[in-house]
Amino acid sequence: MSILEMCQWLQDTPIGTSIRESTWVFPIIEGTHLLAISLSVGTLLLMDLRLAGFLFRSEPVSRVSRAVLPISSVGFAIMFVTGILLFWCQAVKAYTSIFFKIKIALLVLAGINALVFELTVRRQSASWDSDPVPPFRARMAGITALVLWAGVICAGRTMAYNF
Amino acid sequence: MPFHSFFQWCDSTALGSTIRDSRFLFPIIESIHILALAVLLGSVIIVSLRLLGFGMTQRPAREVYNTVSGLRNRALATMLVTGFMLFCSEANKCYENPPFWAKMIMLLLAIVFQYTVVRSVSRRDFTTGRFQAGRVRAGMAACLSLLLWFGVGAAGRAIGFY
Repeated sequence: MSILEMCQWLQDTPIGTSIRESTWVFPIIEGTHLLAISLSVGTLLLMDLRLAGFLFRSEPVSRVSRAVLPISSVGFAIMFVTGILLFWCQAVKAYTSIFFKIKIALLVLAGINALVFELTVRRQSASWDSDPVPPFRARMAGITALVLWAGVICAGRTMAYNF
Repeated sequence: MPFHSFFQWCDSTALGSTIRDSRFLFPIIESIHILALAVLLGSVIIVSLRLLGFGMTQRPAREVYNTVSGLRNRALATMLVTGFMLFCSEANKCYENPPFWAKMIMLLLAIVFQYTVVRSVSRRDFTTGRFQAGRVRAGMAACLSLLLWFGVGAAGRAIGFY
């Protein structure tokens, strides 16, 4: 079975079909996915702006992180669940859309960026935690995350179009 | 209805027809509109949660509010400009669209509420620490603010579904 056939099978399952053909469920899931951007990326960007040295400069990075990341995590959990459901009911459209592939690629890059930051610069954060402007690599991690998440949002929105 | 001729005029402007006739302008402007939504609502969420006693509790609400104000104001300005551009490209459609009217009414209420009640409640809040009883006014302002802004967002999405 090819990936395309698997996508076809997935969206033809009773759950996929019923979401796609519903009057209310699809718009509610889609609207939730859109508005949860505010909770996920909207709050995470405050942490990234702190890392980049633009906001909350008098606040240690670790405290901004502890205050903001739990909220962002709730947002990303909502994004993940609604995103899976949206893929489920229109898997073929997503799989054949170049913008979906771009979105997934940018999501993976955002994950790698966060992981590299956690495993390297963050490890030595004791030495720069309270610096108004963090070291170069931490600032780059913050700015890279901002750019990648903006790309994820734009690619996601553009999936609705066939150019 | 004085609105009707205004909508028709907007629809007929060069701005409206240029966006309507382009394959790329609408998606590009809409992407910017949504990026600004993330920034605007993210700032609203962080201040509202602070007023409710969650999130950045180690700083007074006043400081959290002041820190994100510039970001929020710029995001709102971006949303208003890009929103007006999108509106011009389909103003006649919007006139017949109930979610559009619901969005405009809630938007007006949200902006007024933001720059009167939320602003004054946040700026007068010098306390720090987790949720404290007796801060009913701040909590209510935060909840209503979230309700209004998310209402604007939900109605905005519903314009396309209607």
